[in-house]
Amino acid sequence: MTNSVPEFEDADCILITGSNTTSSHPLIASRVMKAKEKGAKIIVIDPRKNHIASLADIHVKQNLGSDVAWINGLMHIILKEGWQNQTFIDERTEGFEDLKKAVEAYTPEKAEEISGIPKETLREIAELYAKSEKSSIIYCMGITQHITGTDNVKSLANLAMLTGQIGRPSTGVNPLRGQNNVQGSTDMAAIPNKYPGYQDVTNDEIREKFEKAWGGPLSPKVGLTVVEMINAIEEGKLKGLYILGENPMISDPDSTHVEKALDDVEFLVVQDIFLTETAKKADVVLPGASFAEKDGTYTGTDRRVQKIRKAIDPLGEAKPDWEILCLVGKALGGKGFDFQSPREVFDELAELTPIYHGIDYDRIEKEIIHWPCREKDDPGSPYLHKDGFARGKGLFTPIEYKPPAELPDDEYPYQLTTGRLPFHYHTGTMTRVSPSLTHEINEAYIELHPQDAKALGVKHGERVRVSSRRGAIEVKVLVTSGIKQGVAFIPFHFAEAAANRLTNSAALDPIAKIPEYKVCAIKIEKINGREG
Amino acid sequence: MEYQTVRTTCTYCGTGCGVLLEVLDGEVVGTLPQKDHPINEGKLCIKGWSAHEFIYADGRLTKPLVRKGDKLEEASWDEALDFVAKRLLELKKKNGPDSLGCFSSAKCTNEENYLLQKIFRAVIGTNNVDHCARL
Amino acid sequence: MDKLRNYVKELLESGEITGFLGLIDDGGHPIPHLFTKEHIDRLNDLVVPDFRYPMTDILLKIVRKYPESTIGVMVRGCDDRALIELAKNQKIMSDLIRPVGVACSKEMAESCRCSQPYPREIHYGEKVEGVQDRSDLEEVESMDLSGRLDYWMGQFSKCIKCYGCRNICSMCFCDQCTLEDETLVMTGQTPPEIPIFHLIRAFHMAGRCIDCGLCEEACPAHIPLRSLYRKVREDMANYLGYVTGKDEYEKDPLEFLGSEGYEVPSKIDET
Repeated sequence: MTNSVPEFEDADCILITGSNTTSSHPLIASRVMKAKEKGAKIIVIDPRKNHIASLADIHVKQNLGSDVAWINGLMHIILKEGWQNQTFIDERTEGFEDLKKAVEAYTPEKAEEISGIPKETLREIAELYAKSEKSSIIYCMGITQHITGTDNVKSLANLAMLTGQIGRPSTGVNPLRGQNNVQGSTDMAAIPNKYPGYQDVTNDEIREKFEKAWGGPLSPKVGLTVVEMINAIEEGKLKGLYILGENPMISDPDSTHVEKALDDVEFLVVQDIFLTETAKKADVVLPGASFAEKDGTYTGTDRRVQKIRKAIDPLGEAKPDWEILCLVGKALGGKGFDFQSPREVFDELAELTPIYHGIDYDRIEKEIIHWPCREKDDPGSPYLHKDGFARGKGLFTPIEYKPPAELPDDEYPYQLTTGRLPFHYHTGTMTRVSPSLTHEINEAYIELHPQDAKALGVKHGERVRVSSRRGAIEVKVLVTSGIKQGVAFIPFHFAEAAANRLTNSAALDPIAKIPEYKVCAIKIEKINGREG
Repeated sequence: MEYQTVRTTCTYCGTGCGVLLEVLDGEVVGTLPQKDHPINEGKLCIKGWSAHEFIYADGRLTKPLVRKGDKLEEASWDEALDFVAKRLLELKKKNGPDSLGCFSSAKCTNEENYLLQKIFRAVIGTNNVDHCARL
Repeated sequence: MDKLRNYVKELLESGEITGFLGLIDDGGHPIPHLFTKEHIDRLNDLVVPDFRYPMTDILLKIVRKYPESTIGVMVRGCDDRALIELAKNQKIMSDLIRPVGVACSKEMAESCRCSQPYPREIHYGEKVEGVQDRSDLEEVESMDLSGRLDYWMGQFSKCIKCYGCRNICSMCFCDQCTLEDETLVMTGQTPPEIPIFHLIRAFHMAGRCIDCGLCEEACPAHIPLRSLYRKVREDMANYLGYVTGKDEYEKDPLEFLGSEGYEVPSKIDET
C-alpha cells in the first residue's frame, strides 16, 4: 500500500475495485465505513454486489476482465473535462503525452461497450474521483488475478498520477494483501528474482554483497515462480521441492495438474502445522508451530513491521519454524544458521535489507514503523511518494485493453470468478477446524443470477455440476440478483469442492506470472434426482 | 492459578490487527482485540475473535513424519532432518542446484522467510524461491 | 498508585485473595493480567489506563475454572454494576470476589457518557459526578416511525457479524447463544439477517445491560449499539421500575419464570 490503514478514514472519496473488503479485510472496511460516516463518497466497481458494494454510494458491475477499458475511459473523461492535476503532471511525472494518446480512443461509448458500465456512471465516477480533495484507491485480487493483472495495476497508477491523488495522506493506490505476512515474505525475497529488500539477483554488485554476507557463491540466474516450478516438475527439470506452510493442492489454479506434479516430484518436504492435502503427498513432513507458539515479525499490508509473541510452547515435539529452518540449514552443511532467537535473525536481515535497515526489535516494541526505514533515526514511512517516486519522476504507462484468456463459448457458456468468504480463510486449514467459523458455513456453493438459474432449471439449494476444460466439481446453488448475469461465483476455501479444479493455470500475467483466477469459462448442469 | 494475556498480531489477513491471546494455566483460551492498537482500535472480525480456535485442533502435527512405502510414519527429528539433507544433497549433486526449489510462506514470519530463501540461495545455490503472493 | 499497589499486595500476601485481575503495563501497553503472590514484584507494573478491557467477562473465565477461590478484580463503575448482575444471575459468588474500586476521571466519564462513573467502594481515584446525556436517544426519537426504521436498518446493514458485541459483553454469559440458533438467524452471510439478529440481542439485553458501552467500542461497523440497549434499559426503568446494576437483592422483573423454571406443556394447543 502506498498509504497506511488509518488514513482511509480521512479520505473524501474511496474507489474500491476487485476487493470484497468486508469479507477479506474487515477492519479496513471498518475504516471505509467510518470515512463514509464523515462524508466520504464510496465507489465500488465489482461484478458482484458484495457487502461493501451494498454500502457504497455508487456500485457498478463491470464485465469480467474489462478493467483497463473502464480505467482508460475514466482518464479519457477526466482529460476531456480538464479535471486532471496539471501541476502534479508537470512537476512529478513523465510520459503524459503518450498516455493522452493512448486513452484518446477510450471514449465513454467504447468504455461502456467493453466494460458494461454506463457512460453516465463513468462520468460521475471520474468527476468524484478527480475532483475530491483526497481520493484513495483500494484494490485486491479482483484486479491482479488476471492475465492483464500488471496492466490493471499500472492503469490504476496512471489514474492516481493523472489526478495527483498520490503522495499525500489519505490518497494513493492501495493493494490489500490477503495473508498476514504476504508483504513480509515478498520483502524477504521469497521471490525468484530478488534478494531481501527488492535487490536484484542479476545485479553483480548486490550479489557480491550477499556472497560476502552469506559466505559463498550465489546464482546470478533468475529462478522459477510457483506455477513455473509446477510445470518444471512435469518437464522433468525440477526434482526436489520444499514447501513451507503452503497448500498448493487447494490454493493453486488447476489442482488436477498440481496434484500430478506433487505425485511426480522425486522428493517433497512439507513443513506445516497440519497434515494438509499437500503434506499428505510429502516424503518428509516437519511439524512447525502456530503463531501462538513462536516469536517473530509480520509485515502488514501497509508495510508496518509488527511483533508476534510466543504465548505457549509448541505442541508435542513440534518446533518453531525458524528453529527448524536453522536445523535444516545446518544439516545441509550451511554456514550462518547458528541463531539463538528470531531477534538475531532479524538483526542479520536488517543489516542486508536497506528498507528495513533502521528497524530492530527494541524499536518496534515502542514505535509504529512502516518501511522504508533506512536508519535508526528514520521514523519510517506511513505513506510513499511524498516528494518523488522511487525512479524519480512517475512514469505514465500507456495500456491497451486485452480480453481475458478464456471467453465463454457454446460449450462453456458461463464465466466463473472466485473469492473469499468473511468466515473462512484461504484453503481453510485453520478456519475449517474452528467451531465459531464452521458454524457459520462449511460448504461450498455457486452464486447464480436468477435469470441464469431459471434458464438452467435449478432452484436455490439444489446441486449442480460445474465443469471447465480442466475439471469438475459439484456444489449447491445460491440464487442472488447480486451477481452479474452470465457470471458465477464460487468461494475457494473448500477442498472437497475446490474452485481451483476449474480455474485456468495456463493463463498467466506475462510479467507478474499471476494466474487468471478471476475469469474462466464454465458450464453448469443440474444434477437430476438429487437435492441438496 | 495463572492468567495472562500475550500481545501479538492476528495471523489471518494482512491488515495486521493487534490481538491479545488469553492464556489460562498455560492454555490459550481466548482472543481479545487490543484496545490501544492503531489499526483495529479494540475491534476485530469473526476470524480475529476466533484466532485461537485452531491452535489445539485435531490433526495438529506433533511429530516429524517420514514416508516408508505408501505410508507416512512418525520419526525422530534426527532421522527426519538427516533424510531431508541426504536427499536434497543427492539430487543437487545429480541434477544441479536448479533441480531444487522451494515455496516459502506468506503465513510464516519475516525471519522464517529470510531463513528459507537463505538456505536455497546460499546453501543449495538456486533462485527457485517463491510463495503464494500471486495466489 | 502506590497506595493501590500496596493494598493489592496486602490482599495477596495475606492470602485473602488467590489472584488479582488487573491491568499490567507491557511495553507501554496496558493489558489484562492476573497478579499472584508468586510473582508479587509484577505489581510494580500494575496500571490504571484511560481505557477499558472487559474485566468481569475475563473474571468469569477464571471463576469457571476456580469456583472456590477468592479472586480480586479491578472494577470501575460499569464493572461493579456487572458484578451485581452476575451475582444475581448466580454466575459469581459475591463472597468470593474482592472488588478493588477505581473511580473514573472526569474526562473518561464524559467520553463514556457514564451516569455512574464510580464503583460502590473506591480504592483509587476521585469520585466525579455522572453524566446525564440522552442526546443519542433524543436524536432517534425525533424521527418519525419510518425514519427510525430506515435509520436502524441502515445501521444494521453495516454489520459484519463479528459477534464482537456479544463476545466483549460481561452480561452475555449464556451457555447457548440465541444469535447462533440457525432456526432464528440464517448462518453464513453478512450482514446477518436484519433486523432479527440485532433485535434478538437487544431483547436479550433487557434486564441485563449495565450500560458500559464496550459493545459499541468493539463494533467494527460503528453501529450505535449502546443507544439501542440504553433505550431497552430505559424502558425497563420507566415501565417496570427496574434498573440493572443497582441493587444485588432486587429481583429482575423479567425473571417471571421463577427459580423453579418453566414447565413446558406436554401438548401445545394448535387451535
